[in-house]
Amino acid sequence: MLAQLDTIQTEALAAIAGITDEASLEEVRIAFLGKKGSLTAAAAGMRDVPADQKKDVGQKLNEVREAITSALETTSADLTAKKDAAAFASIDPTLPSRPLPKGGLHPLSLVLDEAVKVLRRMGFALAEGPEIETEWHCFDALNTPADHPARNESDTFYFENGKLLRTHTSSVQIRTMEKEVPPVRIIAPGSAFRRDEIDATHLSAFHQLEGLYVDQRVTLADLKGTLEYFFREIFGSKTEFRFRPHFFPFTEPSFEVDIKLHAAGRPSKWIEIAGCGMVDPAVFSEVGRKRGDAAYDPDKVTGFAFGMGLDRLAMIMYGIPDLRLLIENDVRFLQQFRG
Amino acid sequence: MNVSLQWLGDHVDFSEYSIPQLDELLTFAGIEVEGIESLPDHLVVAQILSSEKHPDAEKLSVCQVDDGSGKPRQIVCGAKNYQVGDKVPLALPGCVLDAGEGKTFEIKEGKLRGVDSLGMMCSAKELGLAADADGLLILSPDLKAGTPMAEVYPAVFELEITPNRPDCLSHLGVARELAALAKKPLKGRAHFGETNTPTRAAKADEVRLESEVCPYYTARIIRGVKVSESPAWLKQKLTSIGLRPINNLVDITNYVLMETGQPLHVFDLAKLEGGIVVRQAADGETFLALDEKEYALLAEDLVIADAKKAVAIGGVMGGEDSGVTETTTDVLLEAAYFNPQAVRRTGRRLGLHSDSSYRFERGVDPLQVAGVSEFATKLILDLAGGKADAELLVAGGAGEGPKPVALDNDYCRRIIGAEIPDATIDGILASLGLEKTGGAWKIPSFRLDLVRPIDLVEEVARVHGLDGIPATTMATFSPASKADEAYDFLRSLQGRLASLGFHEARNLKLISGAQLADDLATSHRGMSPVRLKNPLNDEQDYLRPGIVPGLLASASRNVRFGTSDLRLFEAGRVFVASPKGEEIEHEHLALLMTGARIHRSWADSKPKAIDLHDLRAALEAICPEGLNFVPVSDGKLLCACSVEIGSGKKAVKIGMAGIVPPARARELDLDAPVFVAELNLKKLMSVVKAEIRFADLPKFPGSSRDVAMLVPGDLAAGEVAAFFEAYDEPLLISAELFDVFTDPTGAKLAPDKKSLAYSILYRAPEKTLEAGEVEAAHGKLLDSLKRTFNVEFR
Repeated sequence: MLAQLDTIQTEALAAIAGITDEASLEEVRIAFLGKKGSLTAAAAGMRDVPADQKKDVGQKLNEVREAITSALETTSADLTAKKDAAAFASIDPTLPSRPLPKGGLHPLSLVLDEAVKVLRRMGFALAEGPEIETEWHCFDALNTPADHPARNESDTFYFENGKLLRTHTSSVQIRTMEKEVPPVRIIAPGSAFRRDEIDATHLSAFHQLEGLYVDQRVTLADLKGTLEYFFREIFGSKTEFRFRPHFFPFTEPSFEVDIKLHAAGRPSKWIEIAGCGMVDPAVFSEVGRKRGDAAYDPDKVTGFAFGMGLDRLAMIMYGIPDLRLLIENDVRFLQQFRG
Repeated sequence: MNVSLQWLGDHVDFSEYSIPQLDELLTFAGIEVEGIESLPDHLVVAQILSSEKHPDAEKLSVCQVDDGSGKPRQIVCGAKNYQVGDKVPLALPGCVLDAGEGKTFEIKEGKLRGVDSLGMMCSAKELGLAADADGLLILSPDLKAGTPMAEVYPAVFELEITPNRPDCLSHLGVARELAALAKKPLKGRAHFGETNTPTRAAKADEVRLESEVCPYYTARIIRGVKVSESPAWLKQKLTSIGLRPINNLVDITNYVLMETGQPLHVFDLAKLEGGIVVRQAADGETFLALDEKEYALLAEDLVIADAKKAVAIGGVMGGEDSGVTETTTDVLLEAAYFNPQAVRRTGRRLGLHSDSSYRFERGVDPLQVAGVSEFATKLILDLAGGKADAELLVAGGAGEGPKPVALDNDYCRRIIGAEIPDATIDGILASLGLEKTGGAWKIPSFRLDLVRPIDLVEEVARVHGLDGIPATTMATFSPASKADEAYDFLRSLQGRLASLGFHEARNLKLISGAQLADDLATSHRGMSPVRLKNPLNDEQDYLRPGIVPGLLASASRNVRFGTSDLRLFEAGRVFVASPKGEEIEHEHLALLMTGARIHRSWADSKPKAIDLHDLRAALEAICPEGLNFVPVSDGKLLCACSVEIGSGKKAVKIGMAGIVPPARARELDLDAPVFVAELNLKKLMSVVKAEIRFADLPKFPGSSRDVAMLVPGDLAAGEVAAFFEAYDEPLLISAELFDVFTDPTGAKLAPDKKSLAYSILYRAPEKTLEAGEVEAAHGKLLDSLKRTFNVEFR
């Protein structure tokens, strides 16, 4: 009996070694372990084994079954592994991807978002105002003389009812101060319009970011600190910039901010990037007159304001040579800003 | 304004300043340097020693010139306007001249028609000193041969003076400002506020002021002058800043203007009939100005007239008929003050601008009028001879000058935010010519801009500079505003749309009348578009009432440039007017899709075309649950749908969607169907749930049943969806449409029918449903469907 079991084991292992596929695996399993299999038949012969040999034969029987089962399992695992490998063998991982549509944000949105992120960290909240404005909000309240050239119909878009398309986002300063009492700490991104023929450096509609901070003791030093932080965050901590005295009707003192631009192969040069200054007391007086209260008493509050062109910022940050690219929406242009 | 460095040197010694240092000094004075013109190296004064005809060229001469080296140099020249002995500019080999349009050319030794030419003699135009020139620039005979031309014509700064500083619109003014900032003394007087000439009130038949626009007018009569060419020094001064010399009298007025900022005018006394009358023009009065153009005047314009006719437009331009000519012998020198607003109004209306009007518009110092008249008179007597009347005729008055301004130095420190000592503040103001008298600062008469304490603070801040001021910040907390919420909401939509393959577009908000037809009237039925009163052109005469017109133009452009698979979105403001004429501004978001769903690739060589359902999917990805397309009859779109969130009475309309009529699309070169949607962002934001609450997950499995039903071909799936939405069965969880089948051939289905197949899920929250319960509910549902839509189940 023991010899018979040895023979079965030898035969089974030989048969298993010859297995090539799932079907022959199953055949071999059935031939040895199936209901009519040779090992099953041998096991049935246990009842004829004398009692004193039962233990040894039983043990042998288990060993043989174990050996065959184990060999079958190993072979089965090998077969599965081969099949799995074969299933992916034809894949060329160097093929280009199966495409998904790719989109992205407009460079102006990216620049604006950068600016907004920095200014929000500094405690500014967003504000907005209408783009169709009254002359009072756009000019009078901002201390602009009645015969200032900016009011010309040759420079500013008007409507029949006397309103106009705001020429700067500074009108949002006035809109905000009409509604809110100090402290006011806002930024207002938005469109502004000037009656310019469109060319590489002019758009009839462009984008600005306005800032205003009014409180009891706001100083020129605060303005300097705010813009220095802002421009270092945007352009890097080593950015060189300068505050150049200038004139705006609605701030005094007034400055323009230049940053030094380094372009490969060209001499570095100063580029004007923002206008700023301390809110002119005449602006507070006019707002106070409109409000009919003393919330903006020029003897009690001070403030700073700044404004910058986002289109220009985008041109500088991305090296865009022509403003018209910003309004043409050519996908070949837009897809360069996916970042 | 052009300012010559050499001319500034008449007033202040800047010899140790380099050009970049002066640039910086000007910049930090608040004077923008727009350009610096300087002559190149290797350009010298040369004297023409001889001139002979070129052997082989009619029009050329061969000259020997003295370039200061001691050895004659041979130059071939085409000009004819010189005489032997003249001194002219000579570009030596190596000299780089401006060729215009940003190009340069280098002078080299060469041959002209076979004759050696070792340099080039130059015209004023070739040196950039004049717009055009007739022949060589003939220099002053006093110059020494070999002198670098950069010493003869030192650098000229092109300056932009801000409107608050008219006192800097002259060489003296700029010099005075720079001297204060550089802490240098002025060589001569700082202003023309004083005069030694006796004045006499003009009689009514000499000068009569009839208009408030001119509060102050002076006239000086000078007889026996000789009009001739100006001396070289004067011509050189004018040409150095780009002015063309004319004759000694005209050149003197131009020189004095550029020196002092005070415009002057010289009338030929012989051509004046009677005394000067300063009056408003008569409506319709015409005037022939010096520029030889005729101007039609209005009563609001100021003229200088004689007894019969206007002889000048006050402060703007003199007349052709009363000006100085070669035969003039007696003149009337006008120096006056005109109201800035009136000069500006007239100049602007007539489109007539002059160096005079530029200064009167910004404001001249009335107190310098008499002093400058005296200065100019002296020059006329020196250069043109003649005899001046002893007295200056005066009409009106120059006023008292600026009022003193008190400055509290603590106020100054409070605005600037730095501990600037009193001595520094006072020192800065004193350096600018202010005088502390009593408690206030006396303001120099030329500083028309210093009126309020803040104006003095500005001076302190400007001169002190921001470098010496600390950079502080006073961050305060700001609560989020409505604008913050809107910004963040839009920012998240932008990000999601970009992930869905959309590129963000930004179009001009000004569109043409023709483009209005592309608007979807998303949130403004009954409103009208807003039109500009003064558009630049008819391509941009309306404010956009919606975004789709711009997106269509962008799509058209992209397709023409070869990108035909497009997903674009744009967010921004749109404008309409109510029937009452009130402008209303909305924030909109628009989407456009056209072309293939994905780009053709190895993975899908025939990708499917985008359809309306792709557009809906994109909208669902950015909108809250419950988005519906409700068909509406709208002439502008095919398959026009109102985009709504929720259904029934609670539905909120947030926008419009549909297919651009193919005829219109083809006009724009858009051959594939174009799908567009436009949403009102405020409405969209209003339906976004403010609060998100967790709901328990189902604890028990559900049971689903599929049902396929035959319905009329024109039954909208939305109606069936609405039926399920409204169907009252607590166990019904969802009904998903998983198949739509039609057969136009009629082989499998009647051609006027379609088959809709739904997978219907039943579930109870508290237990596993038994088969019988599901069957009962499902049977009821099928009955109800049959009653409602008269369906057949397949």
